[in-house]
Amino acid sequence: MHIFLLVTVFKEKIFWLNNIICLILLWCYILDVCNPLMRMVFFHQAYFRYIVMVVVRRRWFQTPWEFRESSLGAALIVVAGFILQYATSGQGVPPLHLPLNAVILVLFAVLTLGVGLGFRENRLVQWLGGIPLGLSLIVALALLSLIGGVIPQGEVAPGSLPALLGVNQIFSSWPFALTVLLFLANLGLSLSWRLVPFSMKNIQFILFHAGFWIALSCGVFGSPDIQRLIMKVDEGGESNMAYSRESDSEQQLPFSVFLHDFSLEEYPPQLFLYDPRKNHALQELAKTTTLVHKGVKASWKGVAVEVLDFLPNALPGKNGIPEPADRTAGVAFAKVRITNTNAVPTYAWISSISPMMKPWAAPIGELLLVMAPGTPKAFRSDVTVRGESGQLVTATLEVNHPINVMGWKLYQMGYDDEAGRWSKYSLIEVIRDPWLPAVYLGFFMIMAGNVLFFWNGIKQKEVAS
Amino acid sequence: MNVDFNTAAKAAIGCWATGSLLSLFVRRTPILKLPALMLSFAGSLVMVGFIASYWSLLDRPPLRTLGETRLWYAALIPLVGFLVEYRWKIAWLKFYCMGLAAFFLVINMLHPEVFDKTLMPALQSPWFIPHVVVYLVGYVMLAASSVTALHNISLQLRSKGNVNGESVSHYLALLGFVLLTFGLIFGALWAKEAWGHYWTWDPKETWAFLSWLAYLGYLHACRYKIDRGKLQWYLALSFLVLLVCWFGVNYLPSARNSVHTYTQS
Ligand code: HEM
Repeated sequence: MHIFLLVTVFKEKIFWLNNIICLILLWCYILDVCNPLMRMVFFHQAYFRYIVMVVVRRRWFQTPWEFRESSLGAALIVVAGFILQYATSGQGVPPLHLPLNAVILVLFAVLTLGVGLGFRENRLVQWLGGIPLGLSLIVALALLSLIGGVIPQGEVAPGSLPALLGVNQIFSSWPFALTVLLFLANLGLSLSWRLVPFSMKNIQFILFHAGFWIALSCGVFGSPDIQRLIMKVDEGGESNMAYSRESDSEQQLPFSVFLHDFSLEEYPPQLFLYDPRKNHALQELAKTTTLVHKGVKASWKGVAVEVLDFLPNALPGKNGIPEPADRTAGVAFAKVRITNTNAVPTYAWISSISPMMKPWAAPIGELLLVMAPGTPKAFRSDVTVRGESGQLVTATLEVNHPINVMGWKLYQMGYDDEAGRWSKYSLIEVIRDPWLPAVYLGFFMIMAGNVLFFWNGIKQKEVAS
Repeated sequence: MNVDFNTAAKAAIGCWATGSLLSLFVRRTPILKLPALMLSFAGSLVMVGFIASYWSLLDRPPLRTLGETRLWYAALIPLVGFLVEYRWKIAWLKFYCMGLAAFFLVINMLHPEVFDKTLMPALQSPWFIPHVVVYLVGYVMLAASSVTALHNISLQLRSKGNVNGESVSHYLALLGFVLLTFGLIFGALWAKEAWGHYWTWDPKETWAFLSWLAYLGYLHACRYKIDRGKLQWYLALSFLVLLVCWFGVNYLPSARNSVHTYTQS
């Protein structure tokens, strides 16, 4: 990037001409960097008056190494990664588990610190820990993430080019792993020079860089140790078997889960106009209506609907009039008045649906007015977890409220979607991530650095104004 | 309490418009300075009031849909403009900010959102508000930084020296970076509680990481020997990455399985 610096002098009125010439020069330079003839031609143009070219004529690998060498280094590491990925037929990085990954990480950290402190004055080491390489690696990391952010991640046909290059699983591919490794080395070296000798002045730098180092390295090295399994537990039943998303083979857990009760709360139901011929709901009515409750009005192309009565839990009674029922059996009923532009109002009861009952709908011309069950508001499982040595934990699992037991985290994940609130089982995700505390330590260090950075930023602002 | 959005939006736009109009005459009639400022400020106050009443009406923070987040931008963006004028005596930014806020409100008037009280369980979390608000404010700062950078570029092209403008775009980017960092980490901590893992390389996460890297690059380039004047281009363009993260992710092929596209639910 510092191949040469173009400094244009914009004093003349035709500054845009200068810009164009600079662009052309740049282009020529890229096309034929070393063609002296070309350069001579341009240098002797009359426009040269307006253009001062400060050509930092650095040769390749002239010390100190800077952006040119750094970009090359970053590019090489990415290319090497892709070659490795291809050579291993797209298998990606083999997962290393505890304690091996921890040992390697510690050795890597010690090596980085040792090299950083032992060879401080070495030009190559300085380059390895310098900002130019850091910036190039940030760009490389960004480009790899860009691949992951644009190309859908997931399984593709093995043997296909995307699979061989790993672009469909970029974040566990060799190019990503090698780039991260070099990034960690770079970050670690720059860190070693600020850590020793220690000074409070450097605390913001240390918090940011060490925090990121810890979070990134532990996140990446620790990911093979994460276990994410799913349990299906029936109401009134107990299970200690779980399966993973990737493979259906079951696996035994060191604890069992007993499900006392699964319950689901819903938002109030919503009104829809349904077209039986086209078999889809017309959203227009839903857009103007709120959730169903007594007194709600909605209108749609000359049809006005008003909810006169609303029973959240009821069952069909005698003479077609629903009667309140208890929550486990009942569904929502609403009495509506439908007014068509030029007709007398009609009255009807409509209902939502349950596994035991078909919904009641009200015809409006060719369409049907239906009441869809409300979307889930909350769902929870009352469980008792029993460890292998007999210890018991009773708790309620809910979305956003996982529980910690015996080194595992239990999450309310799902239920029988078809049955909705009548679901007879609960899906519980059980997760173990032994590296989490380390990653969180990194997060909190970054946040602490952030607070300092913010504070200093504010202070510097006063200097600037 | 039900406040009509169109009324509130028109009132706010009216305040900003008359406020801006008055400030155009401030140089000739300095006495107008205070009323101009008050009026512009009142526009944002109207929006803050509307958000408060809308919040209580919905029974949940209005932060779920794009339309709802636009309300916050409309309230906050002009405030950044006022802050910059107060801090660095740069007056032009606030006009742009008020214009942008008005633009957001007009979009909302043209596309009334589905009136929907429901909030899916995963979003019912104490992390929801800090995560989104931090990001909102961060985006506002970085948008202002990018516009300031563009302004600096145009000054450069007209060969006007402008050290002050460059420090404005720098500090806005710095504050924006701080907020992005918080937003990213809050999001990770929340994801651990809600979905079981702090980082899954979901497309939205990936793009948030990319935008964060872009500004990380800026800060380090700035620390190195790279000329700040040139970095104005970088700042102006970084915002494009942020825009993809903000609006564009839903349209990318990778977004098929994103947990962040709530709107269908
Ligand atoms: C890739 C390797 C990296 C290297 C070689 C590197 C190196 C540096 C250096 C030498 C400085 C100047 C510090 C000073 O003058 O006090 C700096 C500043 C900074 N770095 Fe890094 N850094 C790297 C990655 C990161 C990462 C990943 C983060 C974020 C977590 C980060 C956040 C910061 C911040 C916030 C500053 C302060 C910027 C300023 O004061 O303007 N750096 N870095």
